[in-house]
Amino acid sequence: MTSPAPALVFDGVTVRYEVDASPAVDNVTFSLAAGERAALVGLNGSGKTTILLAAVGLVPYEGDIRVCGTPVSRRTAAEVRDRVGFLFNLPDDQLLFPKVIEDVAFGLLRRGFDRTEAYRKAVLALDSLGVGALAEWPLQHLSHGQKQRVALAGAMITDPPLLLLDEPSASLDPPGRRALAGILGRLDAAMLIATHDLDFGRRLCRRLILLEGGKVANDGEDLSTIQRLWEME
Amino acid sequence: MRTSWHEIWGSGRGPAARLAPQTRILAGAAFFAACLMSPALSAPGTVFITATTAVWIYASGLPGRALRSSALLGLAMFLPYFLLVPLMVKGPSVTGPGTGWAGALAVPWGILLHGLAGLLIATATIATLTASDLRGGLLALPFPRVLAAILVQIVHQTFVLLSETNRVAAAMAVRGGSGRWRAAVRMLSSLPRVWLPRILGRADRVAAAMEIRGFAEADLRIFGQRVIRAPDAVVIVLAGAVLAVAATLRLRLL
Ligand SMILES: Nc1ncnc2c1ncn2[C@@H]1O[C@H](COP(=O)(O)OP(=O)(O)O)[C@@H](O)[C@H]1O
Ligand SMILES: [Mg+2]
Repeated sequence: MTSPAPALVFDGVTVRYEVDASPAVDNVTFSLAAGERAALVGLNGSGKTTILLAAVGLVPYEGDIRVCGTPVSRRTAAEVRDRVGFLFNLPDDQLLFPKVIEDVAFGLLRRGFDRTEAYRKAVLALDSLGVGALAEWPLQHLSHGQKQRVALAGAMITDPPLLLLDEPSASLDPPGRRALAGILGRLDAAMLIATHDLDFGRRLCRRLILLEGGKVANDGEDLSTIQRLWEME
Repeated sequence: MRTSWHEIWGSGRGPAARLAPQTRILAGAAFFAACLMSPALSAPGTVFITATTAVWIYASGLPGRALRSSALLGLAMFLPYFLLVPLMVKGPSVTGPGTGWAGALAVPWGILLHGLAGLLIATATIATLTASDLRGGLLALPFPRVLAAILVQIVHQTFVLLSETNRVAAAMAVRGGSGRWRAAVRMLSSLPRVWLPRILGRADRVAAAMEIRGFAEADLRIFGQRVIRAPDAVVIVLAGAVLAVAATLRLRLL
């Protein structure tokens, strides 16, 4: 028996937005097993978003990135994105349709599901996030927290083995944060959760990958390094 | 103005709602073009423009409140041209068919009639379309797929921005404390500074989301669309006829 390929592998990955600028992500190496959850913690500008974008081939990188065993490149981008659910920092950026149900069902319709079946599954996904009643709503009428759940339903609907979440707890109130942590905690997918909300990260993940200026400063279950570094600010 | 554009979309409750969305878009565009094309200075032209506008407003079922607001907006935009009339009477008469007062009045009259008709027809068309209708309609029209996908996304993002604009306007009204006009002026002056960077930043992120979610490669016709039925065919033929009449009126004048 071979164990399944890791959900995500970064091997010596460097990202530069400008040729002679200092790298936004600097020689980063880590690996996320199938079903494993890790929090990617770091201050603003430490490179969290860049790492998530690199993982889906949206920024050019040096080094090696693999999603479920597939090397991420221009050529494989579509295949890779089929295996990844991505939650943007602001749900407004990723909701692309006027009505909730249309947005959630899109991932299935795109894969050739028929409309009735796709909509039925979309309602189930919304239900599981506690927002089934919103299916027919226009997106503009939702609150931030509701939009985020809709975005999450859309990202999960195809059961991707890897979820990449960019600061999902930002701009949620404390009960909203707890609810989101509860929802994410019940999913089986591997997750990389970018956050500067240590509390939230800790609630979901034992493993914390600490980023500092684009470098991995610490990777493990130990909070003290982070606390020492952040306390010093 | 008490009615915001955001609320007008899809607010119409007229017979046009029974047409397929693509028919509504086509008919609105045809009537708009016909009114701009036909001459305002002849009696038949004036009657034609007025009648076309009235019929489309009726068919759209544009709510009275929205009709009043957009008519007022149109008058405010286009009536001031009449202030130029005294200047034009004194100047050498190079414009329009007549001379003296008649010739001078012709110019602002043309602007007023065309402008008001165009604005009302556009508003009426907007009132026949919800966001979903507009998307469905655009997808059903024979644009290339990628163009349709981009148009659809422009429409959707515009709606998102519109509702954001409403919130910002509300925030400004609250903070400014005083009337809508001041809020409106402030908002307009803050547009370049506040909105442009936001829109550009968002465009970047939305583009990334479109890529990740496979938006551009997807055939959006999966969302299904209303087929063209007999009433649609009739309206499309009618809209074509209206365009033809406008063209004839225009040519006669030349
Ligand atoms: N599109 C871009 N162009 C140039 N520099 C960028 C771009 N996006 C991010 N950066 C830079 O890369 C670094 C890491 O940014 P980012 O990954 O967004 O950090 P985080 O998500 O942790 O806040 C920052 O210094 C930021 O200024
Ligand atoms: Mg970020």
